[in-house]
Amino acid sequence: MASRPVSFTRVAQPVRSLWHRFAYAALVLAAFGLMLLGKADVVIVERARVAVTDAVTPILEVLSEPASSMTRVFDQIAELRDLRGEVDRLREENGRLRRWQHVAGGLQAENQALRNLTHFVAPPGPKVISGRAISNAGGPFVRSILVNIGERHGARRGLAAVSGNGFVGVVVEVGTHHSRVLLMTDLNSQIPVIVQTTRDPGVLAGDNSNRPRLQFLPQNAHVSTGDPVVTSGEGGVLPAGLPIGVITAIGDAGVHVKPIVDWDRLEYVQLLDYRIEGVSGAPGAKPLKAAPAYPIKASEDPATVTSGSRRP
Amino acid sequence: MTPGLAQRLDVWARNMMPSVTTLFLALPNVVPLGLPAMSDVMPVVTLMAVFYWSVYRPDLMPPAAVFVLGLAHDILAGNPTGLMALTLLVIHGVAVSQRQVFVGKPFFVAWLGFAVISAGGFLLMWIMTCILAAELLLTMAVVFQYLMTVVSFPLAAWIFVRVHRYLVR
Repeated sequence: MASRPVSFTRVAQPVRSLWHRFAYAALVLAAFGLMLLGKADVVIVERARVAVTDAVTPILEVLSEPASSMTRVFDQIAELRDLRGEVDRLREENGRLRRWQHVAGGLQAENQALRNLTHFVAPPGPKVISGRAISNAGGPFVRSILVNIGERHGARRGLAAVSGNGFVGVVVEVGTHHSRVLLMTDLNSQIPVIVQTTRDPGVLAGDNSNRPRLQFLPQNAHVSTGDPVVTSGEGGVLPAGLPIGVITAIGDAGVHVKPIVDWDRLEYVQLLDYRIEGVSGAPGAKPLKAAPAYPIKASEDPATVTSGSRRP
Repeated sequence: MTPGLAQRLDVWARNMMPSVTTLFLALPNVVPLGLPAMSDVMPVVTLMAVFYWSVYRPDLMPPAAVFVLGLAHDILAGNPTGLMALTLLVIHGVAVSQRQVFVGKPFFVAWLGFAVISAGGFLLMWIMTCILAAELLLTMAVVFQYLMTVVSFPLAAWIFVRVHRYLVR
């Protein structure tokens, strides 16, 4: 009996030295393997990621609190500095907006009258879930943020995330207490969009810079700088008409879009649930029969609306 | 004489310090600091820490710890799982094999070594990101982040030396 610890060491010793010798190679291989498994969307890798992030979410929530108050202090200093110019700018803008208000009032009345004539069924408004961004955009290799809205608050994959007035990205990962939003600027992000003035459809592809590219425009598209770009709703994942940004550059390097969202001040995020069941909806969800030909139809289609409300 | 329980706990805690401090120092990489464009060029603390400990105390930064630190970074930052883990393992391997070059030499030798080795690390991350996304990542932010990481290495090393001296011993 007294010799038991000795024999244990004797047994463990070769295993231990073998581990020391091959640990490095094994771990390098494991890292490669994880990358491949992650690329293949293996459920267990994703589950592990979600579990770890969920566990750390409370820490990040606490830590992001002083960070956001620091942002507020910086903002206030900047505001005090150019208060004078701001007042002048706002006065001018106010005058301009008053004129627009008149126009918009008239248009709204006309729109309402036309809708009454055609018995238009208005799409249901979105369910809005608000939360705070608890991680930053992630650096040059990846563009995504964590938001403290989880499954228990009603988050699910494929929801649109907006901040202020602008589109931010799409929810790609949901845990109990958090969800990860893939920003539209990420290398892996491709958003079906439409140029609002010319109705030219295209795909907004991120390249990890702050100015995503507008790709696959029609041959005869005549877009110009300053044209607003909104989501088209094509594919049935996102709702149509979420404002994204304006075209800033058209050249050999492609058409670039400047998002409305201020990436440096991405503090509060809202997830919009239009109850659309697209390709990345909940498992078992009925996918759309076909991508709608005209963007508005995605939310107008009564079939989409009823299938959405049937969800538990 | 066998050391008492408290003593063993103390030694164990001290030996854990490099990994634990690395984990905590890496949190600003993830938390939104609210500084304009900072997340783009935020120096990668885990990279610096793994290099430092691999050179000066490789016994306290075994490959398994490096792997776990890399995975934690990947999951929190939203990287492809294993990207930072692989990069850190490569940096660890090179740093450990070349540590005789840096130990006992003036600091700028280690700094220069870090600049060269981390350049390889960033190149590896860039290549893997391009392969995984099947697209060419053309952004200067990678270069800026590399430069920021190299420039801030002395500051980080100053902190690591403090940890080394007072917490690890």
